[in-house]
Amino acid sequence: MRRAMLAVVCGVFVMASARERRAEPQGGATIAGKIKFTGAKPANPKIDMSEEPKCKAKYQAPPTEETVVVNPNGTLANVFVYVKSGLPESYKAPAPAGGVTLDQDGCRYHPHVLGILVGQPLEIKNSDGILHNIKAKGTKNRPFNISQPTTMTSTRTFTAPEVMVPLECNVHGWMHAWLGVLPHSFYGVSGADGSFSIKGLPPGTYTIEAWQEKYGTQTASVTVAGSETKTQDFTVAGK
Amino acid sequence: MISALLALGLAAGAPFPLPPSPLPVQDTVKGKVVYEKWCAGCHGETGAGDGPAAAYMLPRPRNFTGAVYKIRTTASGQLPTDADLLRAIDEGLAGSAMPAWKGRLSDAERRDVLAYLKTFSSFFADTSQHVVALKFGGEPGGGTSAEALKVGRQFYDSIGCRKCHGDQGRGDGPSAPTLKDDAGFPIFAADLHQSWRFRGGATAADIYRRLRTGLDGTPMPSFSDLIDQKFLTDEQLWRLAQYVRSLSPARTPEVRDVIHAPRLAAALPAAPGDSVWDRVDRYWLPLVGQVIRKPRWFGPAVSGVWVQAVHDGKSVALRVSWDDRTRSPDTTWLGFERRVLETVAGDDSGGGRTAGPFPDQLAVQFPRRIPEGMERPYFLMGTETDAVYQWRWTSAGGSGAAGGAVGGLARGLERFDTLPGGPAAQTSYEHGEWRVMFTRSLATPDTANELQFAAGRAIPVAFFAWDGSSGEHGNRLAVSTWYFLALDQPTPPRVFVTPVVVMLLTLGLGIVVVRRVQRRQA
Amino acid sequence: MNWRRYADHPFWQAAALLVAAYVVIVYVVPLFPGSALVPKSVVLQYMATVLVGVLIYVSDNEERWIRFREPIHAALVEPRLRPVRAGLLVAVPALVGLVAYGQVRTTVAAPPNLRSIHPAPPSEITFRGKTITLTGLDNPLRQHPESSAAYAADGKRIYYQNCLPCHGDHLDGQGHYAPGFNPIPANFQDNGTIAQLTESFVFWRVAKGGPGLPREGTPWNSAMPRWEDFLTEREIWSVILFLYDQTGWKPRTWETAGEAGKRKGDD
Repeated sequence: MRRAMLAVVCGVFVMASARERRAEPQGGATIAGKIKFTGAKPANPKIDMSEEPKCKAKYQAPPTEETVVVNPNGTLANVFVYVKSGLPESYKAPAPAGGVTLDQDGCRYHPHVLGILVGQPLEIKNSDGILHNIKAKGTKNRPFNISQPTTMTSTRTFTAPEVMVPLECNVHGWMHAWLGVLPHSFYGVSGADGSFSIKGLPPGTYTIEAWQEKYGTQTASVTVAGSETKTQDFTVAGK
Repeated sequence: MISALLALGLAAGAPFPLPPSPLPVQDTVKGKVVYEKWCAGCHGETGAGDGPAAAYMLPRPRNFTGAVYKIRTTASGQLPTDADLLRAIDEGLAGSAMPAWKGRLSDAERRDVLAYLKTFSSFFADTSQHVVALKFGGEPGGGTSAEALKVGRQFYDSIGCRKCHGDQGRGDGPSAPTLKDDAGFPIFAADLHQSWRFRGGATAADIYRRLRTGLDGTPMPSFSDLIDQKFLTDEQLWRLAQYVRSLSPARTPEVRDVIHAPRLAAALPAAPGDSVWDRVDRYWLPLVGQVIRKPRWFGPAVSGVWVQAVHDGKSVALRVSWDDRTRSPDTTWLGFERRVLETVAGDDSGGGRTAGPFPDQLAVQFPRRIPEGMERPYFLMGTETDAVYQWRWTSAGGSGAAGGAVGGLARGLERFDTLPGGPAAQTSYEHGEWRVMFTRSLATPDTANELQFAAGRAIPVAFFAWDGSSGEHGNRLAVSTWYFLALDQPTPPRVFVTPVVVMLLTLGLGIVVVRRVQRRQA
Repeated sequence: MNWRRYADHPFWQAAALLVAAYVVIVYVVPLFPGSALVPKSVVLQYMATVLVGVLIYVSDNEERWIRFREPIHAALVEPRLRPVRAGLLVAVPALVGLVAYGQVRTTVAAPPNLRSIHPAPPSEITFRGKTITLTGLDNPLRQHPESSAAYAADGKRIYYQNCLPCHGDHLDGQGHYAPGFNPIPANFQDNGTIAQLTESFVFWRVAKGGPGLPREGTPWNSAMPRWEDFLTEREIWSVILFLYDQTGWKPRTWETAGEAGKRKGDD
């Protein structure tokens, strides 16, 4: 159920970036790949939701944290892959098409990892209807902390690129999400099959970085031309 | 020229609030000198909140490099105004180590230092940052009426304050053991019964502002979105602030030297919750960290105790109440306890400490006998050669008649010898508050070791408290110095006779004087 | 004008002066920074002093003394002032009775704390087994003026890690633990503490702390630790250097006792 939702959210992303590509004629190349995972699969800590019966009722098995989500096909979900450098000086980011939604449902964040453009609205939705607070702990962006004790949506924007801005709820210490704030929309988040794709790139040589909350970052250099698709996989070794 | 004029204006005490425009550059040069002399010891040379004293404090000194400030009048996420920062410098932050610098540094020095500390973060130089104080309406009247407080309490429940602050506001909510600030240090949900320790001030208006702005850098969020989206009216938020204010005494408790124990004609209270206690004056005695003997402790959890006493001519009853978020030993707080022990430096930090499910403890200390002169035993639990008589209570004790309390002799912090036949003790723990009631007969057979209480005398008394879930154990505790307990005597008749005699004599003298003068005149 | 007649009159001047003195002592003095409420017994003493002063002034001049006595005399004899006379005869005894009640009422007060703030120091002490002669001793670190900045910096770090909770950021004895202690921690900014003392005295107080005080220093109350258990001899001298450096006081020296109580740059 959750994975399906994640896939839908990812789909929305793809559609959003596709729409932006139409608005952005600067390039048509794609970098795609998979995040492979090797080694022992770490167990995510179980979450005790007994203080929040409304959330607890949304799960059949006890929910766990999402620090390392290994897919059935041996790949990693929730890895943020983005163009770190290499865009021409002249590149201008497209105006954001709509906002990005972060939902608090079942006392967890959906999605767990997401990207956003500088200036693009982040719509923070409380679907649980119980007290959450949403705290953004950026250092390049001003941190904030909003109370949402009921079903409601608060909107905030970010002023500076920052990978990543940690988001958390202090009422529920297990709730964490990660927000990549970028000056461009060349990013992707690995989904339920471990794959990501960054589309609409102008020709050039790029440094792309893959970020995972526990295992940190890896970078790769990729050169693309025209409308070709280059594959760049990453391998994360479990510890 | 302009700066000279401005300096003149500053010297003359320009009115508040200051405009948010940055102060002239030369002020930051002077500010640096002031900062390095008076501020860097805690806040660090680079403003990172890491001066030599920082590790000995909880909460830690502010790290200026992120420009994240708790006490503001601006929206969550915005920079503070100059007036906000100046307020913290001028008045200090109650309940923390930050003193009020007004009167300690000159007006010009304080403003220079304000200008300088803004240079630690690039956010203040960023002109795209909005620094606009929120518009706070006036406080609606009737804030202490039962009706208003009922509304406030209703919102206290409905918007989930109890999640961290607990059902009765003592910071004992279910989420409290998980709280950390942005730097990862453990942070306590405020005890709403001690408004005099609120960093941003104790009035309902101060509390309302904190609700609107949140305390950035901490888990305390802003509730402004709720008002903007009409989930809550401004008045309802004010009622909540007024309710929170009502949990603390109307005025900061005054520390008095002598605890008076009235003599009751009726029976002594039977339990810590007995209604007799509601009619007896209570005394606030502050406790501070034990920083005298190794290993010292710089993170005391119990900031003070409320003490009440009564007697009936045969026995004395003493009730000590204090706020404690945890009914220790409590394993749900073990993680928090570990973080506290890692955060607070001391002689035994760095591996010498282990967290454990320690109990809560209390010691009430007396000399072995009422001193005749001014000499008494050493306040910190006596010495090897001059023991003190103590009542010791522990939350891990049995549930028998003594309720986990014993009497005994302490000979310094490290040694305590139990005596047979201690005081009777009864205990209650409700919503973050311990109440321990000790009862003992005034006289006992062991006159050599046990204090023999006597009415009408100033009996030295001191208090010590341990919060097990903050890692307090052994020498890690909160201490007081000597205070006095006085058991009231029945009023002797001369108290009423003497003034009457004196009045009659004065009247007679007056009449004689008037007569004589009048006669001479005639 | 009527009020002018009163304003010029020595009796009413004296009365106004007494009222003004009372208001200043009871309500204005506590407003000064660093002042506390004036205790009742002290108020009584001050008022008595003011009264004596006023009486000396009015009796100094014969004419003034006569005019001063006029209203008193009038109140005692004038038939038209009979109600005032009766009122005084009731009010004065009532007031005296009230004071008498306050005196004989049995309240237990804290015993007076007769504490010698600077008790006589010993001529020598044993510091971690080493005998140190205090008489004639100056801060040995001052023999190396080229390193004094480094010593003071050391002393600053030691102060902030050890002394600050009680003696405070401003060295004025108002640290965040100070309200928990009685006697309150020493105020180094005050001209009555380190400004009046030799550095060897300060060394003795730091090294031996509260437990090392003689009886007249009420060692049982002092929360001052025995710092020889925590700090080395050199660390203590560094802190002492810092105390003088930060406050600007000069230590009292053995040769020129008259130098004490001066800040740097006072002369």
